[in-house]
Amino acid sequence: MTLRNFQLIIALLVTTTIIAQNNQTFSIGIESNSQYYIDDDVTGDFTEDDNFRSNNYIKLDYGIKDFSFGLQLEGYAPQSLLNYSPKYDSPINIGTYFASYSREKWSVTLGYFYEQFGSGLLLRSWEDRQLGINNAIRGAKLTFRPNDKISITSLYGKQRVGFEVSNGQLVGLDGNFDLSSILSHDNTSLQLGLSYLGRYEDISSSNPDFDPLTHALSGRIQFSKGNFYADVESVLKNKDALVEDGLVNDDKLFYGNAFLLNMGYSKKGFGLTGTFRRMENMNFYSDRDAAGNTFNEQIINYIPSLTKQHDYGLTNIYVYQAQSGLSFINPFLKAGEIGGQVDLYYKFKKESLLGGKYGTKIAFNVSSWYGLGAEFNADYQRVEVGILDIGERYFTDHNIEIRKKLSKKVSGILMYSSLYYNKKYIEEKSGDVRANTLVAETTYKFTSKKSIRIEAQHLWTKDDKKNWVAGTTEFNINSHLSFFATDMYNYGNDAIDHQNHYYNFGGSYSKNRSRFALSYGRQRGGLLCVGGVCREVPAATGFTFNLSTSF
Amino acid sequence: MKKTIVFILAFFISFLFYSQTALPDIQLKNIDGKTVSILELSKDKVIVFDFWATWCVPCINELDAISDEYEDLQDEFNFELIAVSIDDARTKSRVKPMINGKGWDYEILLDSNQKLKRALNISSVPYVIIMKNGKVVYTHSGYTPGAEQELYEKFQSFQ
Repeated sequence: MTLRNFQLIIALLVTTTIIAQNNQTFSIGIESNSQYYIDDDVTGDFTEDDNFRSNNYIKLDYGIKDFSFGLQLEGYAPQSLLNYSPKYDSPINIGTYFASYSREKWSVTLGYFYEQFGSGLLLRSWEDRQLGINNAIRGAKLTFRPNDKISITSLYGKQRVGFEVSNGQLVGLDGNFDLSSILSHDNTSLQLGLSYLGRYEDISSSNPDFDPLTHALSGRIQFSKGNFYADVESVLKNKDALVEDGLVNDDKLFYGNAFLLNMGYSKKGFGLTGTFRRMENMNFYSDRDAAGNTFNEQIINYIPSLTKQHDYGLTNIYVYQAQSGLSFINPFLKAGEIGGQVDLYYKFKKESLLGGKYGTKIAFNVSSWYGLGAEFNADYQRVEVGILDIGERYFTDHNIEIRKKLSKKVSGILMYSSLYYNKKYIEEKSGDVRANTLVAETTYKFTSKKSIRIEAQHLWTKDDKKNWVAGTTEFNINSHLSFFATDMYNYGNDAIDHQNHYYNFGGSYSKNRSRFALSYGRQRGGLLCVGGVCREVPAATGFTFNLSTSF
Repeated sequence: MKKTIVFILAFFISFLFYSQTALPDIQLKNIDGKTVSILELSKDKVIVFDFWATWCVPCINELDAISDEYEDLQDEFNFELIAVSIDDARTKSRVKPMINGKGWDYEILLDSNQKLKRALNISSVPYVIIMKNGKVVYTHSGYTPGAEQELYEKFQSFQ
């Protein structure tokens, strides 16, 4: 879209608004994340340009009758925070915009939009500012909803990359059907979902078998009856060029597939759920050569690691990342991933033996993930994979969490985790790690709004960087103002000059729709993971300032 | 470029005077897979939307704290709490066993690609919004122990 077109839309907006000034809604959301980096003996001197950097977002939404318009301005001034994609390179620019028209049964959106088919295994466009992910699709989307049982979405567009869009084009169709009424049972539900996604990227190829358009299909069934539920999803991806180290090998074509099963039973005070997933060659990017990029750009589908999402500093050192890709690169031969996890929740009732006066809540989680057992032929052209063949173990985590309110003033959480982390395959480095972590936290309420929270953690391992200890104190003055101090100390490190403290302290103030936070400290280099998606961050020291507000 | 942006900003800000915060017409699935319209929900009664996730400790603390007194509170004030989970495919399968395991009585909606969260400009969870007659009357982001007391005080003033 050119600037002139844009001004035209604005002019149109003004006219429509002057004509009709009723039924309007308007909102602004502002977020600013800044850091000031300083030299530090431990994390190293800051040798790049611009010690001060900030990422800023202003999101504007306006609705009038059946129309709505949105615009997101983004500013990275003087440049983006460390390890964000260099493609976010403008002090102020238009990130996304859209115009949409909705009636009861259908709606149409032009411009940038976010969309997810099913669980996202086929398509998910979304935004996570902390991770620097914004893979909104620029194009058109049409949704048809003839009744509350059927919903059909079709879309076409190119994916956002920095302030540009991909070369590859996406076309998709998604249908969701509520078939519960067929079953004619009150407490039974049955949902069916079918989706298609095509990615078209023309590259010069002499291989007659190579198709620039890659087709992918997904089918889903969700069923629940009373306290029991199950859902299953299966994805097939047509054969496409193998990409290794950013090089597109159009003479090596492979199919991809994924299978996901969730089942569970739950009733009041009890919950049990199990997940199984198998994936083979499921990396899917809007431009083929973007495969495996470190900034998580241009990913079409969403493949989170299905493990417990831990809440504490030391339980987030060894975080699994799903291994969906195919790789012939020795010694990291990979064909995909297979594994599962089980969660159990139980509440011991009040006044029972283990429940005590206020009840006790307990949660178990076990997850285990393996590489697909596969045979890689010497010509690196073929791979033979068995349906349920298990290869190298990638990751295992067993953990238990107990939450207990002891009195009106005191409550506590106890958490223990025992994990195996195959660093060789997950990070493509060497070695593996077996670690045990114990966390205890307690909250004491001085008055109804004033409280203190203390957290102690220890990680034991004979591998990698050895033992860690960590602690946090959080002082909540009232429901608006709180301060914290935290330290993670790698006292077990074999190299004495690497026995570092990673401390952080600061405070936050929140009122109504605004939140301000200021902190100073050291960031541990390594993987920063949010919601199962990780990005590599460098070790750094400095001040951090966050602001978010909306009107 | 800069001029255009300044123009756009001025344009939008001028609307602040005309408009009011209202809920967008967004449809989400509830925990049983039924489609629920946000606008329909907030008709005729006080509704508390609490945005949370299974991996967010303060969110769970807040919902636990309110849960302990939920029945008494509902008797005292005519309101309903709707817990909007922003869990995505990574953790969504944990929502149902968790709410049952914890014994929460809230209506649960699934905002798994953050449609509603984005429309309301929510940048972090937990985030509480109180709606009365379709209008936002109170918002609060974050949770510290005891912050639910302020929520109860607000209920009193909205009766």
